[in-house]
Amino acid sequence: MEHSTIARSRTATLPDRITFAAPIPGFEDERDFTVTALDAHGVLYALRSDKTPGLRFVVASPGRFFPDYAPLLDASDVSALGVADDDEVLLLVIVTVTNGITDATANLLAPIVIAAERGTALQLVLADADLPLRAPLLRQAG
Amino acid sequence: MLILTRRVGESIVVGDDIVLTVFEVRGDAVRIGIDAPRSVRVNRKEIYEELQRSNAQAVSSSDDAVDALRGALGAPADGAPAALQPGGPDTETPAGN
Repeated sequence: MEHSTIARSRTATLPDRITFAAPIPGFEDERDFTVTALDAHGVLYALRSDKTPGLRFVVASPGRFFPDYAPLLDASDVSALGVADDDEVLLLVIVTVTNGITDATANLLAPIVIAAERGTALQLVLADADLPLRAPLLRQAG
Repeated sequence: MLILTRRVGESIVVGDDIVLTVFEVRGDAVRIGIDAPRSVRVNRKEIYEELQRSNAQAVSSSDDAVDALRGALGAPADGAPAALQPGGPDTETPAGN
């Protein structure tokens, strides 16, 4: 069995539109999303469903909040994206926010992997089961 | 539901290319090996269900809450888009994994 890892790009540009190559758990009928930047810093983005008006995921580039977050992506895990072994992918984490930044969390266990050039995406459950589904964006002080 | 009895070392074939093998039974825990094409997603059920819940919670984040979050991160919180051009993520992070 092949076990090459795939590189994460930190410079590739997000596409304006993405199509999920595998169903998003809980949103099996939603495949096509429009990508919109929510700030000028390349941190927050909205993924808006083309099919269901108002359905929107807020996603974040993890580097600003989780600088050590660098999961290894097995090329075969993301084969549905249609990427070759030497292609680069982008990683975004889904953010949940109830009131504001103090309660905002990110899903580090199952990030969204995007093949920028192809405009394909999938939510990958990482093998490291210790990663949190709800990691606070702000580290608790002390 | 189909229920089969298997002993340690025995397997079950699902479809043409999925094989489940019982590796070990200890008390009420069973270790199961799963051979499946990588395109088949295999997850512990509770994790999958938790992920469904987490995703459902994520899409229910209100516009107000998202604006508050944007404001806290330095973007205008009044709803005026700071920039609508998707840019490169992680550009603030030093290169290298």
